[in-house]
Amino acid sequence: MAPENHTATLPTPLLVEDEQERGYGHVLPLIDGNKTYSQVTEEVFSTTERMPPLKWWLALSVSLSLFLLGAWAVTQTVTRGIGTWGLNRTVGWAFDITNFVFWVGIGHAGTLISAILFLFRQRWRTSINRAAEAMTIFAVMCAGTFPIIHMGRPWLAFWATPYPNTRGPLWVNFKSPLLWDVFAISTYFIISLTFWYLGMVPDLATMRDRAKTKIRKAIFSIFSLGWNGSNRTWSRYETVYMLLAGLSTPLVISVHTIVSMDFATSVIPGWHATIFPPYFVAGAVFSGFAMVLTLMIIARNVMDLEEYITVRHLEAMTKVIIATGMIVGMAYGTEFFMAWYSGNDFERYVFLNRALGPFKWAYWSMVTCNVVIPQLFWIRKVRTTPWMIFILSIFVNIGMWFERFVIIVTSLHRDYLPSSWAMYTPTFVEVAIFLGSFGLFFTCFLIFTRLLPVIAASEVKGVLKHEEH
Amino acid sequence: MRSTDAITLTRFRASFADPHQLLEAVKRLKQEGYPVIDTYSPFPVHGMDEAIGLKPSRLPRACLAFGLLGLATALGVQIWTSAYDYPLIVGGKPLISLPAFIPVTFELTVLLAGLGVVGSLFVASGMRPKFKVPDLHPGVNDDRFVVAAEIQAGASFAGVEALMAGLGALETELLVDDKKQQDASLLDREAKPLAFLLAAAPAMLVLAALPLLNRNYLKRNLAWDGGMMAPVAYQAFDPHPSLPGGQVLQKPPAGTVSRKGLVPLSYGPGKAEAERAGLELKNPFQPSQENFSRGKLVYDRSCAACHGLDGDNNSSVIVARGLLAPAILVAPVVRNMPDGRIFHVTTFGGPEKMKGLGDLISREDRWKVVLYIRELQKAAAPKSSPVPAPANVPAPTPSTGATS
Repeated sequence: MAPENHTATLPTPLLVEDEQERGYGHVLPLIDGNKTYSQVTEEVFSTTERMPPLKWWLALSVSLSLFLLGAWAVTQTVTRGIGTWGLNRTVGWAFDITNFVFWVGIGHAGTLISAILFLFRQRWRTSINRAAEAMTIFAVMCAGTFPIIHMGRPWLAFWATPYPNTRGPLWVNFKSPLLWDVFAISTYFIISLTFWYLGMVPDLATMRDRAKTKIRKAIFSIFSLGWNGSNRTWSRYETVYMLLAGLSTPLVISVHTIVSMDFATSVIPGWHATIFPPYFVAGAVFSGFAMVLTLMIIARNVMDLEEYITVRHLEAMTKVIIATGMIVGMAYGTEFFMAWYSGNDFERYVFLNRALGPFKWAYWSMVTCNVVIPQLFWIRKVRTTPWMIFILSIFVNIGMWFERFVIIVTSLHRDYLPSSWAMYTPTFVEVAIFLGSFGLFFTCFLIFTRLLPVIAASEVKGVLKHEEH
Repeated sequence: MRSTDAITLTRFRASFADPHQLLEAVKRLKQEGYPVIDTYSPFPVHGMDEAIGLKPSRLPRACLAFGLLGLATALGVQIWTSAYDYPLIVGGKPLISLPAFIPVTFELTVLLAGLGVVGSLFVASGMRPKFKVPDLHPGVNDDRFVVAAEIQAGASFAGVEALMAGLGALETELLVDDKKQQDASLLDREAKPLAFLLAAAPAMLVLAALPLLNRNYLKRNLAWDGGMMAPVAYQAFDPHPSLPGGQVLQKPPAGTVSRKGLVPLSYGPGKAEAERAGLELKNPFQPSQENFSRGKLVYDRSCAACHGLDGDNNSSVIVARGLLAPAILVAPVVRNMPDGRIFHVTTFGGPEKMKGLGDLISREDRWKVVLYIRELQKAAAPKSSPVPAPANVPAPTPSTGATS
């Protein structure tokens, strides 16, 4: 623990949580370092007010380069056509939809942390929720690009919305899961953005009050909406925040449920399964928490936030990973049981082909990364050592990407007609778009870390409890 | 400041370093009878609502109302578009299939409830961009916990200051209704028309959508991007910047049936072109038994249905059904046409009724048909009477022979 940091005039905040009464064995502090309120303000906001360090610029240049590579690949796709991808008539969805589901899944942890953990009064969420929500928004942005590029003519993407048009008007097909996707993803994006912004208004007011230049003051005056910390406003604000959390909780579950219906409502063996919605939601939480861990472990190191994002936060997230990882593992087993129990030859063949066919390397990578390796989190030493968590979280990220690849490609490449069986190999353009989406994600995230407070200062101050006199 | 008269200076505020002290101060002020205006803090202080006497917010009702609005809108739009405005059966499902409408309904309910309740919060708390924030204590968004209250009638500011200091206040100050505050409210007043416009926008959208109910389907809608309506159609021999060889037409794939190296005809449709063809083209085939029989085969298959087996328009298909009679091929008009012109009409169609058959009959066969038509004309020359079909030509389709 960091050295005591008393000041003469201000009472010392204590690291208090009543977990011991709720039966926790060991308690690690929520926020380390015995911080005062003004210390929190200073440490959270000063990063947004000075020039970023060299390592930030290096990271930004790497991710911007990746983003530009992706932009080049998207240009290739749009100008030359979808033929630049490795898709064929049998495998019509592959890298693009894999990446779409992968990014949507990653987005789920942010809302889960900000909404569900809020409803469950898990106060450890306070120091990670801002960054996790930002991650959600950027991940959904990355996810949204893939179906839009896959349309071939992305400038006509607005055709997917119901509006009076020149074609009849011919309305969108409200009975199609692909349209449900449009509504689910855009609602999710808008509500997550609103939630994120609303949670940030008090902190934006702090930025406004600290602003030194006129332009900065003007910008934050606009976005902080005249916030003055009034208790009447706080009272309404908390009500609305609670309502938004209550709305976001079913929303986050609905989003991946609907994404899974893109597959489950089809008749492709390996997709046509009622297990898909819960299986996808658990997988989304699993991959989302892995990505939060990856990002947070980098952020706390690079930005010296070890005292805010403590080992206790990391440990709590690893527990979520074990739980959801085992749900996902059970789903893998259940799929095999259902294939066998269905008595359907095609269904049986698809699953045998997954485990033993030409894509078996992808299947077993998935099982290893998602089911076997996370079991190491049962060891407390692993749960509380950041670099070990980091490595394991990378494995989970890789494994969950493979899960979507396995579901999509192995189901499609050999279905009913053996004469139509085909293999799929991604082209350089597809890989470049995928790398570009990481570039977009990290570019947005890095800019966010320097432009806005990464830690929800007003919430963190609320969990620094004062010693009772 | 403190020397000014107390009549305008009836409000004060005191700041604390700790939320518990603030809560204590509010309770104490209430006890002593000072009307508490509000408290200001960097984070919500729990128990403060009860201490000030705030009732629970009514925003949840707004949330419910907006949610129901979203629900009704989603169901209404889906049912109206799918079952009434453009009824289209998809996948054999009923036009109104509620289970399939649930996902969109759910999403729109959440969307409107969420945006609506946040918008209601902004309206209820007057949250909008402000360049001068009213009642802002400089430290309140950092580490100060502030209470603002009115000075009780008859009480002195010194007494208030002492009371607050006793509760741990870091500073206590009188509040002035200064000009800055008035400026802020002036700004708010200016912002009102804007707020009104924002509130009226949804109503305007609804009004704009009303004409939808009474549309003229014959009139074409406006399109800002033609998209598929105006495709870029390349001609086979056009140059193309990005295709191999720099032209549109590419080497055909393996297995393509050859058209025997024919160069394209340099004619278009139309009477002038037909006359030009009549002057320029010569039948490359000589009359021979072989060419006649091929010509007859093609004629009987493709031409006789309208023009009659003898070219005399005696067709049971067209004339007997009262349709427009085709040209009489053995009439003097056609008889006087040059070969090239007949060939052109066969290829591109006639001026009125005939469609071009250039895509259906090979060029060679069309010339042979011209030869056969000449033969028909010769046969009909003395007098227009049916000529018995030559016995040495096999029937174009397998025939059982039982009916002949």
